[in-house]
Amino acid sequence: MEKLPKIDLIELKKEMELNRKQRREFVKQYAEWLKKTPNKVWSKQQNKLLNH
Amino acid sequence: MELEFKNNRIVFGKELSNLDKLVIRFVKILNRLDVDYVIISGYIAILFGRSRNTEDVDLFIEEMPLEKFKMFWKELGKSGFECINESNPEKAYNNYLKEKLALRFAEKGKIIPNFELKFPKSKYNLYSLKNKIQVILGKEKLWTSEIELQIAFKLSLGSDKDFEDARYLYKVFKEHLDISLLKRQISELRVEKQAEKVLWKKD
Repeated sequence: MEKLPKIDLIELKKEMELNRKQRREFVKQYAEWLKKTPNKVWSKQQNKLLNH
Repeated sequence: MELEFKNNRIVFGKELSNLDKLVIRFVKILNRLDVDYVIISGYIAILFGRSRNTEDVDLFIEEMPLEKFKMFWKELGKSGFECINESNPEKAYNNYLKEKLALRFAEKGKIIPNFELKFPKSKYNLYSLKNKIQVILGKEKLWTSEIELQIAFKLSLGSDKDFEDARYLYKVFKEHLDISLLKRQISELRVEKQAEKVLWKKD
């Protein structure tokens, strides 16, 4: 059985925080795009996700 | 995004998702029976364009007597909804709602998405019901939590998803918000640190 790599929890915590930061950055980018976009256009895209 | 935000009312139009249509179908029953309600959940962010889905929509409904609740239960049944955590309306009322626990209703034969209904428990819950805002979506109307409260509350929930919802609502509605009210809500919920990180931090 393959030995699992040792987890550096501090490094993992940093990675998770970086991931969170990048997700929040996307939320900001998405919100800014939505504000500039006609309702008809953004809602059509959103529905491709929601109605799937 | 084109919307009108004035005097506790938001007016806008969009292509409705299946979730939007289901929510509208459900709240029409509440309106028909004159049941006061407020949508309090992540659905609010989704209604205004957030790019995620949800398995439930949370609402507070006004505390009502058993007889009115039985009428509501019957109407839901006629409209194609059923309670997924209790099949008896009296037990549903006494063992769940009166105990401030949530009842879940979904379309018959389905489990998600579902509507999580509760009687308001705390003064804060009652505040959200009393200070709701009307969203006019084309010909349809919904009542949702005031956006300032929703942002602060999402910060208090603490998950990554909730922080993202809070940030999203803040970014979308920034120009329309009562910032002093938002700060008071944040202070009441003791989420100043979270607000600093999620809302105010420049990035």
